[in-house]
Amino acid sequence: MENLSEKLIKEFNGKLDAIKGQNNLNIVALKNKKLIKKLSWEIKNYFDILYTLTVVDYSPVFELNYVFSNYENDDILIVKVNLDEKDLSIDSITDIFDSANWEEREAYDLFGIKFNGHPDLRRILLPEDWPGHPLRKSFEINDEVRHWTGLDLKF
Amino acid sequence: MIFDYVYSIVSRFVFSPLSYIISFIIIAILAVIVTAFIPVFIGWVDRKYSARIQSRYGPVYVGPFGLLQNFADLTKMLGKRFIATNIDVLAFNFTPIVVATSSFAMLLLLPLGAPGLEFISIPYSLLFVYTLLAISPLLLLVAGWGENNKYALIGGFRGAAQIISYELALIIVLSSVALLSGSYSIPAIVAGQSSIWYGLYLPVTLLIFIISGLAIIEREPFDVPEASQELQAGWKVEYSGIRYGFFLIGDYVRVTVIAMLVTYLFLGGWLGPVLPGVLWFIIKAAIVLMIILTPRWIFGRPRIDQLIKFGWNWLLPLAILNLILVELFVVL
Amino acid sequence: MEHKDRIRMNIGPVHPAMHGVLKLILDVEGDTVVKAEPEIGFLHRASEKIAEMRYFSNYYPIMDKLDYVSALNMEILYASTVEKAAGITISERATYMRTIMAEIQRIMSHLIFIGSLGEDFGNLTSFIWALRERELLMTIVEKISGGRLAPMYMCNGGMFYDFPEGIDKDILEALDKIENKVKHEYSAVFTKNQIFLSRTKGIGIMTKDMIKRYGITGPIARASGINRDLRKVSPYLAYDKVDFDVPVEENGDTYSRFIVRLNEILESIKIIRQCLKQLPAGNYKTAVPWIIRIPKKDTFVKQESSRGEMGIFLVTDGSDKPYRLKLRSPTFFAIRALEELLVNVKVADAFVIVASIDPVMGEVDR
Repeated sequence: MENLSEKLIKEFNGKLDAIKGQNNLNIVALKNKKLIKKLSWEIKNYFDILYTLTVVDYSPVFELNYVFSNYENDDILIVKVNLDEKDLSIDSITDIFDSANWEEREAYDLFGIKFNGHPDLRRILLPEDWPGHPLRKSFEINDEVRHWTGLDLKF
Repeated sequence: MIFDYVYSIVSRFVFSPLSYIISFIIIAILAVIVTAFIPVFIGWVDRKYSARIQSRYGPVYVGPFGLLQNFADLTKMLGKRFIATNIDVLAFNFTPIVVATSSFAMLLLLPLGAPGLEFISIPYSLLFVYTLLAISPLLLLVAGWGENNKYALIGGFRGAAQIISYELALIIVLSSVALLSGSYSIPAIVAGQSSIWYGLYLPVTLLIFIISGLAIIEREPFDVPEASQELQAGWKVEYSGIRYGFFLIGDYVRVTVIAMLVTYLFLGGWLGPVLPGVLWFIIKAAIVLMIILTPRWIFGRPRIDQLIKFGWNWLLPLAILNLILVELFVVL
Repeated sequence: MEHKDRIRMNIGPVHPAMHGVLKLILDVEGDTVVKAEPEIGFLHRASEKIAEMRYFSNYYPIMDKLDYVSALNMEILYASTVEKAAGITISERATYMRTIMAEIQRIMSHLIFIGSLGEDFGNLTSFIWALRERELLMTIVEKISGGRLAPMYMCNGGMFYDFPEGIDKDILEALDKIENKVKHEYSAVFTKNQIFLSRTKGIGIMTKDMIKRYGITGPIARASGINRDLRKVSPYLAYDKVDFDVPVEENGDTYSRFIVRLNEILESIKIIRQCLKQLPAGNYKTAVPWIIRIPKKDTFVKQESSRGEMGIFLVTDGSDKPYRLKLRSPTFFAIRALEELLVNVKVADAFVIVASIDPVMGEVDR
């Protein structure tokens, strides 16, 4: 595992940082968000699935935590990517890790992050016309939310 | 025949045309009481029996041993609101009426445990009962169509397919019994079993009859058209209140009719030593009824394609083979 | 619609055979499904948002209501996460007690699965029988914690109460009964029942490749030949001190998923018996203040819940509340596979397949 993050860091010289000392997790930070697809292809050699995708709102920066895992052992790799509030979009990795599909939809639903190239980027947990993205720290229960009555269903 | 008996009593006190009408009214009231009592009682038996299988108590509160629970349920159904919308009113209301009347007519046509103890006596009463049983595919399609509901529609299609697959086997089995006894009237068939019950030397026929009978009345495990899990209640889904109550009553009447038919056709009806015939009949019919009620609580439901495949590939050929063998037996 | 003989059935969210409030949009031709789309979110209660507004100790009731069929597993997971983040060590007795509770809950959850699988093709008796066996353990959970469905038993640093006197005798008694039923009665009702076999064998086959593509874990993955159980791969609690097998089946059909869970019940019984034998004396709880502050760090903990690998990604910022808490739910991934699984099956089979996934919507929608 140590080798993997070192190898990845060497390959992406300068663009990838190791973050250590936190609960023995293997965490790397990707500086350039455009490289996420390239990195994912690289990770695909070692990991089977996107275990989970956690978005953390450090406004004005949104931090994406991609957690990769595989079926053979207990290894975990966390890739951190920072997105700026002004440009909340990143390439989708669904064509590399198919299990990312619904996780990305959830991140879009709750945080409003756009995943370019996602095959079906719709809201997943909330109704389609829900105002705002509730897991952002800036989300407020305003009148629009309070008086939301549900979407018009088409039969 | 009950009518003649009542008429002979009434005509002693009242003059001729009026006595006819009065005895007719008495008969009608009697018929309503009997036909309403039997399904409600059978329903209670079913509920108690299933509760015992599932380690539950079943109904206990209404009446002794919960006997009146089903009456309470039916009364409750009378007060229920009618909620279906966008329905075909004619088709929607047609089905419960026909289901109820056809089920009750079956009970009136069959002798209730002794020769002559029937409300309506016609020759070929067996064939008429069969016709009333086999009317269902039409009803299911009409109901499924009239309800304006996809579940109902699929249920209706399934039901029609299932019943058509099984009613052929049923009439063939019925015919082989009739062939053996030389008559379609129930007293004659029972009389034909005075030496040995047909069920004892035609066990396969008996089995085919029970299976196809269960399939026709859509009793579990053959309740694919109703499929309360996937289709909610299939073709019954939009019905509520007393319309649904009619279906419930109709179901239990049909179960009773199948049990009675099995007793008459295969188990010697009211024949038996020592005890009076009616008692023998009730004992036999009760045992058959219990056997018929059991599969619902111990089997799952087969898929519709498995069910129809079984009907056409196994049951029907077996029934035809059975008919041929019986025919050979009779001819030789 | 372009296909004239196609019917679109909106099954759920309110439907007797749907587990919770799952909604399936099925395009049906005759009795065959040609397109399926699962829709979730009807039980979304913003559990992750609620976490950001509560003290670490006050979030346990919400965890209970995630996977409400195996609530104790959820509590243990959350407790482990917070303890790992805050650097709290729990006593050995507490780890054993948690192992026992987790396995009791797993048996209860799998019994619900067995019952509802039978119920979904019309065998109501199986459901009631399974509930009857579950009730034995429910009583024990009630005796131990005071709660039934949502026990609220775990807390930071251990458990709220110690085991009551003589509970091990009750547990062993209940386990004997359940083992007897599972080994003899259930095999008669299920594995020797022709209708059950014909309805489950070869239905809803998930290949290994499919499992890996969708990221499915837990009993479903093990039914497809993937030998991965977090209790073995990275033992937590007391799982490295007990001896148990991981049941694996190769076929990946509904029947395999049933058999895997049936065998897991027996394995769990084994684990509980060993734990009760080894149960050490000591503190059941490490004294931890009600309000704790955890320094800024990321913590990721995953454990084997009844439905697969449940994980928590906890981000803390030095305050007394989580900054962000993300729940990784196993069935969230498994339900997506229904898109592919339900194509070209009969409508009746679709429901059995959904039941074999064993979704609990509280955990999927969070």
